[in-house]
Amino acid sequence: MRRRASLTALAGMLLLGTARAAEQSVELSLDLRLVDTATAQASFLYNGGGKLRFDDAHDGLRLGGLRLGYRGHFADTWHLYADAYAYGDHDVHAIDLTELHLDWRPVPGSALRHTVKLGAFYPAISLEHRMRGWRSPYSLTPSAINGWVGEELRTIGVEYDLEWLGQQRGRAWNLGLDAAAFGWNDPAGVIVARRGWAFSDRQTTLFGRLGQPGSGSPFGPGHGPSDGRVLFYRDLDHRAGYYAGFSADRHGILEVRALHYDNRADPTRQAPEINDGAWDTVFNSIGLRWTPDAHWTAQWQRLQGHTTINAGGAPIASTWAFAADYWLASVQAGRHRLTARTDRFWMQQRTSSFFFYNHDDGHALLLAWSFEINPRLSVIAESLRVGSTLEFRRLIGAPEDAVERQHQLGLRFEL
Amino acid sequence: MSGRSLASVMARTLLLVLPLAAVATELRVTVALADGTPLADAVVVADPASSAAVDARARRPRAVMDQRNLQFVPEILVIRTGTSVEFPNSDQVLHQVYSFSGAKKFQLSLYAGRQHDPVVFDKPGLVVLGCNIHDNMIGYIYVTDSPWFGRSDAHGAVSLDLPDGSYTVSVQHPRITDAPESLRTALTVAAVPLTHAFRLQRPLKAAPRAHGHDKRWEDY
Repeated sequence: MRRRASLTALAGMLLLGTARAAEQSVELSLDLRLVDTATAQASFLYNGGGKLRFDDAHDGLRLGGLRLGYRGHFADTWHLYADAYAYGDHDVHAIDLTELHLDWRPVPGSALRHTVKLGAFYPAISLEHRMRGWRSPYSLTPSAINGWVGEELRTIGVEYDLEWLGQQRGRAWNLGLDAAAFGWNDPAGVIVARRGWAFSDRQTTLFGRLGQPGSGSPFGPGHGPSDGRVLFYRDLDHRAGYYAGFSADRHGILEVRALHYDNRADPTRQAPEINDGAWDTVFNSIGLRWTPDAHWTAQWQRLQGHTTINAGGAPIASTWAFAADYWLASVQAGRHRLTARTDRFWMQQRTSSFFFYNHDDGHALLLAWSFEINPRLSVIAESLRVGSTLEFRRLIGAPEDAVERQHQLGLRFEL
Repeated sequence: MSGRSLASVMARTLLLVLPLAAVATELRVTVALADGTPLADAVVVADPASSAAVDARARRPRAVMDQRNLQFVPEILVIRTGTSVEFPNSDQVLHQVYSFSGAKKFQLSLYAGRQHDPVVFDKPGLVVLGCNIHDNMIGYIYVTDSPWFGRSDAHGAVSLDLPDGSYTVSVQHPRITDAPESLRTALTVAAVPLTHAFRLQRPLKAAPRAHGHDKRWEDY
């Protein structure tokens, strides 16, 4: 009897200890939109030549996204992060993960700090996305660059991050180096090659697809702009990709991020089961964020790279070069925030094993106003204009040139 | 209590207090930038020339370094050696406070509210605080052996009541870039109230920018 009581007491102490050692939280975020779109193009998500997430047939009251987040902190050193989204647009799963990673981040005993991430997560590339769940406080629609990152990129692997905490030593800068090895990102590149750049906050989920199945191409399924690609994060060649990055932070006033990415995909590798192949994608990105005072923020980012595929071992590989940059200025006054952003984007098919050379060239202007009603509820109004020339539109019987306009009123709830 | 015993207590109290009060002299220190703008939150310390002047038995009050809106509040704290500092977390998110400064290495495991015992700062020096979850949170604790210290107000002014004697008066602030020797002066206090003005020659380092203020924020 006494032994049972002792065991019960011990179990109780262990449970209590576990509860004290683990701090966990579950979060729910709801993003509702009222959308008004003026475009002659169907959205790329519905196999059209449009560059917007919503088109004339899919505007009105829409679900921006329902996010379920989890943050678990264990034994002071281990941190588990999970984010899942429901978009209500007939994805493979009604709700699916966008990120899931376990971080090892010990408390620094000197000015050097080590962090290891394991799982599926975004590389440190975006300076816009500063809210949990890969959301931007500046606008509903991210830049062309970081919208594409949300569609095609995910690190599924391991990342090591070494930081020098100079500010803790009285110096002006914190400096960081990070490197990652990853797999399951071989199809990355297909969307920017086919569709060009776009303006969408629709993240591709880990087990989901981008867009609806069907073809916007006269060449049949699999040749449309997005075509509802399933299992987007897939390893086709068993070759690990890598990236290496650098960051510098001067008191949070000036921040610099640079990244070199190479998925090292074998461009001859085909995957008939997903009607796709491995796209060998390489790019460099550099971004600056300047916060001169408590109100103003300015950002600039440029991404430039290329992607190659050699379907069926054709004598000539098809190669596309792509580049985009954006400027953003934002001012916060109390609970109001005003943001202006301009994007320039460009994609050019350099070589082709086929007669068609795709080309994309355009610019965009975004204006956004947000108001924080309270910490759980905010409203964002956004106006976006995209002017572009996209060669691909000819294949689907549309004019190459298009000017698309979209107004959105978003309500963000943190439940 | 009878009138006689009350008078006796008051007399004894006066006898105890008067000698101390009689020798305390006000030193008013002001700190300003090169253009005359007052510098708030500068730490001013008066170190006596003779360590015998310091009452080592003086009570060390507790101090508080709060965490609010993803910032340490106050950003700069000055305490006497041996002071216990509480680190309550008033935010809705967890913090993990640490320092690897030579004057005090410590860490407080992830917490909310008031889960941790106060930390005793038992060596003089500057302790830089960080949060392992929120890198933009940086706080400063100046720990001094002297019992005479203060933090400048919005007018850049600090008043210290000092016993007569000789002192080295110094100014510190994490964003001052002037040479330390230009931020010290020797003063002798002898019954007459004194004033001393420090005028910085070099511009301050830029103040850090806070990123976000609640749990929605998480830089990617």
